[in-house]
Amino acid sequence: MIETARRFSTKVKSAAGEFVVRRHRPDYQIVLYMGLLMLLGLIIMYAIGPQRANVLNNAYNTDYYTSTYFFIKQTVSLLVALGAFVAMALIPYTLIKKHAAKILIIGFAACAILAFAGWVGLGIAQCSLGACRWFDLGAFGSIQPAELLKFGLMVFTAGFLGMRIKQGLINDLHRTLIPLGVLVLVAVIFVIGIQKDMGTGIAMLALLASMMAVGGVSKKVGGALVLMGVLLGILLIIIAPHRVERVMTFLAGDNAVTQGYDDANYHITHAKIAIGSGGLLGVGIGNSVQATGYLPEAINDSVFAIMGETFGFVGLVVILLLFTALLLRLLKVAEHLPDIWMKLVVAGVFGWLAAHVILNVAAMIGVFPLTGITLPLLSFGGTSMLFIAGALGIAFQLSRYTVHGSLNKETGYESPSSRRGLGRPRYASGRGTPRA
Amino acid sequence: MQLDLRKGSRLRLLAILLAVIMAIFVVRLFYLQVVQHEYYVGLANKEQLKQLVIPAQRGEIYALDGNRPVKLVLNETVYTVFADPKVIEDPDKIIDTIQQVAGGNARPKLDELLAKKETRYQIIATKVTQKQAELIKKEKLKGVGFQKGSQRVYPEGQLAAQTLGFVDGEGNGKYGIEGALNDRLLGKDGLLQSVTDISNVPLTIGDKNINKPAQNGDNLVLTIDRNIQSYTERALAEGMKKSGATHGSAMIVDPNSGKVMAMANLPTYNPGEFGKVADISVFNNGTISSPYEPGSDIKTLTVAAGLDRGVIRPDSTYNNTDSIKVEDRTIGNATKGQTGVITMQHALNYSLNTGMVTIAQRLGDGTRITRAARDTIYEYFHDKLRLGERTGIELANEAKGTIIPPTDVDGGAVRYSNMAFGQGMDVTMVQVCAAFSTIINGGTYYQPTVVAGTMDNNGARFTPATAKPSQQNVISHGTSETVREMIHQARVAFHAAQDKAGYYTGGKTGTSQTLRDGKYVDNETVGTYLGFGGSSARELKYVIMVQVSGENMNLEGGKHAMPIFTDISNWLIDYMKLQPKG
Repeated sequence: MIETARRFSTKVKSAAGEFVVRRHRPDYQIVLYMGLLMLLGLIIMYAIGPQRANVLNNAYNTDYYTSTYFFIKQTVSLLVALGAFVAMALIPYTLIKKHAAKILIIGFAACAILAFAGWVGLGIAQCSLGACRWFDLGAFGSIQPAELLKFGLMVFTAGFLGMRIKQGLINDLHRTLIPLGVLVLVAVIFVIGIQKDMGTGIAMLALLASMMAVGGVSKKVGGALVLMGVLLGILLIIIAPHRVERVMTFLAGDNAVTQGYDDANYHITHAKIAIGSGGLLGVGIGNSVQATGYLPEAINDSVFAIMGETFGFVGLVVILLLFTALLLRLLKVAEHLPDIWMKLVVAGVFGWLAAHVILNVAAMIGVFPLTGITLPLLSFGGTSMLFIAGALGIAFQLSRYTVHGSLNKETGYESPSSRRGLGRPRYASGRGTPRA
Repeated sequence: MQLDLRKGSRLRLLAILLAVIMAIFVVRLFYLQVVQHEYYVGLANKEQLKQLVIPAQRGEIYALDGNRPVKLVLNETVYTVFADPKVIEDPDKIIDTIQQVAGGNARPKLDELLAKKETRYQIIATKVTQKQAELIKKEKLKGVGFQKGSQRVYPEGQLAAQTLGFVDGEGNGKYGIEGALNDRLLGKDGLLQSVTDISNVPLTIGDKNINKPAQNGDNLVLTIDRNIQSYTERALAEGMKKSGATHGSAMIVDPNSGKVMAMANLPTYNPGEFGKVADISVFNNGTISSPYEPGSDIKTLTVAAGLDRGVIRPDSTYNNTDSIKVEDRTIGNATKGQTGVITMQHALNYSLNTGMVTIAQRLGDGTRITRAARDTIYEYFHDKLRLGERTGIELANEAKGTIIPPTDVDGGAVRYSNMAFGQGMDVTMVQVCAAFSTIINGGTYYQPTVVAGTMDNNGARFTPATAKPSQQNVISHGTSETVREMIHQARVAFHAAQDKAGYYTGGKTGTSQTLRDGKYVDNETVGTYLGFGGSSARELKYVIMVQVSGENMNLEGGKHAMPIFTDISNWLIDYMKLQPKG
């Protein structure tokens, strides 16, 4: 009885004391929205894969890329990502919580090895334009260690902040903010400084900001952190000329068609051309012309624009609604999780996903400078898909431990109620006997 | 979606923030995709839609070889070779190759052209043939490209140059049939519009693709017979050599259809090298573009008018005193001594001006060239025989000439007395040939033409042109028979020995004065001869007109133009395999 209870329930310590929360049915809406988005991504890969293959074959003068090359690769990526989702949903979160520090250290180590490999010029480091972001794994493709670092940072910070919150020291400068700040700074140096990956860097910061906000930093500290973040952003923009150019491009508006071929300007203008020419209902599946080489990164970072051309305004609104639904679902899960570590991890997943979606879409529709970030679940590319799916897997696992009922600050959970109105409480007092 | 987020909680704040951002995105998307849709479609089309003009092939020109059309003007694919000075790697090799292969078609100072690194396009050779282009391509010169074009080729060189005209650098026909029927020869360019990928590869996406094939120009078949043209040019050149004439024109017309069988003008040029011509007057077709004072050839028309009105007969007589008074002027004869009472046939044989003035007077009240007489002459010359009006032949730059009407202050009796023997008027050879054909063919005016029909694209099937409108009974059939016989007599009286025996020929000399700045000059006359030939009077096959002139040269019809007629006439009888009947 107790054995069973231990397998299907978890101990929760809260201000009101220790509870045992029974594991229940997870939030399948997470899977629903994720699955629909993945499916849309697969459809668009199927539709523009042949054009993309054609463009590459022409560019490299080969016939290496078959018309189903990208569709098949995306299918494989999706299967791997679904595997990661399932794995992260099944691996007990306690294991992840326990080894969070190790995951973070591995993430840092991977970044350091990549930086070193890139510096000495080892083949395993995959570099372009002086920035090494990927490990080349040969037949297994390539992997981006920054994603692992991001993940490690999320689960580690959840533990660290959770501890400080319980100690009531979340706003403490010396014991909380400075150590965390140093940690984040090192990560930022790796991701934005060395790998020159502004997009992933911003997503990492957004993820942390989301966790801290949910963790309950004071408005004063929060304001100061936001200010620091903005200043850091400006500094990073100023020290890297290509970012200055991107900002100038953003401010300049669309004129790339008539004026020269400034890369970033060309990219954004063509994203807008693709989206704008899609109109209300789109040109239809397989009829995208911008995907035939006009719009850069058509299958990766620009997939939102190609979807705009293909599915039109209606299609893009549906996609945004799916993302919004998924994100709100995460907030709902976070709200009802009784444990602070759980809450922070789901808040982190929310920040991660939201940052990617918002930064990508904002760049494509020309309301924010281009940061070179993928659109989660839709863009072609394994690493991004793998880690987002993994992160969602954790959130899905944690959705089994939500508790419904109004919370009382003094006493914790006051009026237990059933999620499905079956009259079964979802938690029990630690001292009581859980019902199996 | 029921979220159950607590009021004022941080999670609720994040949810609100997310909702606001998403709302902004949706508004922005609405603006881009619905409000600005047309604008972005425009931008997209600007780069995605490519238009390619499919050039129509210019129609080729055929001549006749007997009844068989043969190509006289062909199209040949040629290449313009250009270089991108910014991309080229080995300028010395390029210069060597181009100069070796293209020779004279290479542009001068290639080293300077290739040194212009700031330009992206320099033409380094033009009119390079397919073979030469392949030789250059074999060298795999970086930064050297080829532009396909078409140029006219003239396998017969100078043959019928002024009748053909030429095609200028922009592809427009100038002079001759190339100029007159430029639109028909040009055809209509086709249009290929396609959505393309970034490498300009056409895509089958969307509904904006257009494929309108080019309509090639008509392949025209001329009435010009290659052999007759060739012989006429030779005969004209030889005849001119004998007389020393510097300019000559000759044309041969079928009197029973108006079809021009030959049109020769000397000096001439090669249309394939029109750019090398120093004196552009050689482009002019003298038979249609140079009005002249026709002189005595016109006497045949005056006689025809007199006969047709019944005021004379061949044996009608008048008293020739070698001079005749018209108002205050006295008109004399060029040939003196045929005085006394003589017949009209006699007057025509000796080309006596007094005889013609007499006919003009008889068209009036018998002693004066009254208004009625002048109206009649004008009616015959201008209205019926169409002198002083463009014939509408399919050649560029046809001149009109001048026939002054009796209503004009200058159209008085003196003027019309002069016109009776071909002075005081300006006409072209083609007008005279058409008029002359009318009075000898039974009285039908045929509009002169050089177009026999068209060939299909493969050059296999010939479609004859629709016949041009003709005018019957311009003069009566009987008049025509009579005047034809009179002209025959005028020739056989002097030249019977020179003609092939058994054929029916006729002709009239003309020696006309030259007007320079409105005044006759003494030291220059133009010699002409206008005649016909055939198996018999009822089977006339050709009208030949010859004109020779030279600056400060007194050239005479009988001495200098007539032998050329005889030469061509005798040759034509053989060429046309005419059977003797006389």
